Amino acid sequence: MIELRNLSKRYGDVVAVDDLTFDVRPGVVTGFLGPNGAGKSTTMRMILGLDRPTSGAVTINGRDYRTSRAPLHEVGALLDGKAVDKGRSARNHLLALGATVGVGARRVDELLDTVGLTEVAHKPAGSFSLGMGQRLGIATALLADPSIVMLDEPVNGLDPDGILWVRSFLRSLAAEGRTVFLSSHLMSEMELTADHLVIVGRGRLIRDVSMADFIASAWSDKVRVVSPDSPALAGLLAAPGVTVTPSSPTELEIEGVPAADIGDLAARHGLPLHELVPLHPSLEEAFMELTRESVQYHGRTDGALLSADAAR
Amino acid sequence: MSAVLPHPDLAHVPPTTTPEMTDPTMTTSPDTTYRITTPRVVRAEWIKLRTLRSTWTMLLSVLLTIVGIGAIAAATATGAVEGPADGGGPGGGDALSTVLAGSMLAVVLVGVLGVLVGAREYSSGLIRSSLAAVPARLPVLWAKVVAFLGAVVPVVLSGVLVAFVVGMAILDGGGVTTVSWSDEGTARVVLGTAAYVIGIGLIGLALGLLLRSTAGAISALLAGVLVLPTLAGALLPDAWDGLLKYFPSNAASAFTSVLPADSLLSSETGALVFAAWIVVGLIAAAVALTRRDA
Repeated sequence: MIELRNLSKRYGDVVAVDDLTFDVRPGVVTGFLGPNGAGKSTTMRMILGLDRPTSGAVTINGRDYRTSRAPLHEVGALLDGKAVDKGRSARNHLLALGATVGVGARRVDELLDTVGLTEVAHKPAGSFSLGMGQRLGIATALLADPSIVMLDEPVNGLDPDGILWVRSFLRSLAAEGRTVFLSSHLMSEMELTADHLVIVGRGRLIRDVSMADFIASAWSDKVRVVSPDSPALAGLLAAPGVTVTPSSPTELEIEGVPAADIGDLAARHGLPLHELVPLHPSLEEAFMELTRESVQYHGRTDGALLSADAAR
Repeated sequence: MSAVLPHPDLAHVPPTTTPEMTDPTMTTSPDTTYRITTPRVVRAEWIKLRTLRSTWTMLLSVLLTIVGIGAIAAATATGAVEGPADGGGPGGGDALSTVLAGSMLAVVLVGVLGVLVGAREYSSGLIRSSLAAVPARLPVLWAKVVAFLGAVVPVVLSGVLVAFVVGMAILDGGGVTTVSWSDEGTARVVLGTAAYVIGIGLIGLALGLLLRSTAGAISALLAGVLVLPTLAGALLPDAWDGLLKYFPSNAASAFTSVLPADSLLSSETGALVFAAWIVVGLIAAAVALTRRDA
């Protein structure tokens, strides 16, 4: 259990984390979601006691982490897979950190096997790819059988197989009753992993919501229909509570009528349908809608730079 | 890397000792299996130190430097090896400073090793993992000091003793006046030289933690601690000697010279002042380590 209460962090004039209050509970995977620069990593550093909050407080299992008597057993964290000494082997890296709480060679070798690094266990960590670094970071997080596992962008740099593995692995950790907290800036990563979402933007809490509720709130019953007789179909569908929007001469977007009823109606009147598609907005779209206001770095898509160049 | 991964269900290997796995909440206070203790943190720092090849290269260099340069200096003094035309040779005259001439270079090597122990983790970012593993932070400093001393003390101490024995044998063989261990001041100078070399290493360690940069801390150590006092002594009027004698390297000269110059402190005071520099450095490092964001 991680509890944040009015947690804020200010660097000079920049507010990185602004009055965050939420709990991360055991037994579920909690996704910490927000655009780049939303304060996710800063928050995680404060949870670990690495950065001191400007105001507010955070506790781990009800206590200040700095007073923990078995730190790595309480929280195992992956902040940055590349943050290892390049000259030290993966195995020795794990042995050194594990030694602080009495983790020995046997457990380290098991973990290397778990994350698939046994073959390169004695290679210097500096020679690792990004994905291998992430695996080593995950092994580091699991060193002392922690009750809380906290991972910052864990699938960053992993191949599809590795991503799949991390997902099922995190789910199994949560199923064992552990607290699993992972950050990402991609909703697609959370869709299949997280049970609960904490969404932040510009350091502020935007949503603290269960995945089920988030999906329900993002739901819409829009249906797209393509038919050569779309005006006729539009006339048949007109009713109170139903919105019909022609999006092209042959295409309609219909809200308020289930797709099956539209199909039945068209069949009864002999109207040909070329497409009948229920439109569920992706969670990614719903997430982007929520955080649009707080995205720090917008890319330009208007091609101004190109046209300016062309005009010259 | 190969993409062959264990199936997730098989992948999760329970730890070898798992009394707490039966606890379904996983949030009760941890049992003693994974308790953090100071000896364990020291062990962690020792593993960090011994698993870097550079540590062993540095330690070997320190040993070879102290013994080798001492032997060469002694051979030069006997005339067996041709020295510089002015006949001075390294060490500046007396037999003890001749055989301990290697300490002038060894102090730089040990100082750099100290800096690496203090600052290296900041350049890689490993320090965050280390401090997350030891959130009380202060034990990390003491553990680094203990691990560093554990590696350096045996090497430097055996280095000066071997340099003394070998160097004196060479001088004796060449018919040059030697001193024996029982002569007044010999033990003080030999052991004092070892203490000076090791002490500069601790100051380097403190500087590394304070400046969090290997390059910065090495520059500060070489320029500020080792070179500046000598340079200032040569450039400034004698009136400044009263202040300059309190600088670390000058304070150390007071107990590493057979006959300390009049401008220096007494051996005892010099030792106290030098020790005070180390303590102040480590306290500053402790404050920085515990107060600053990692």
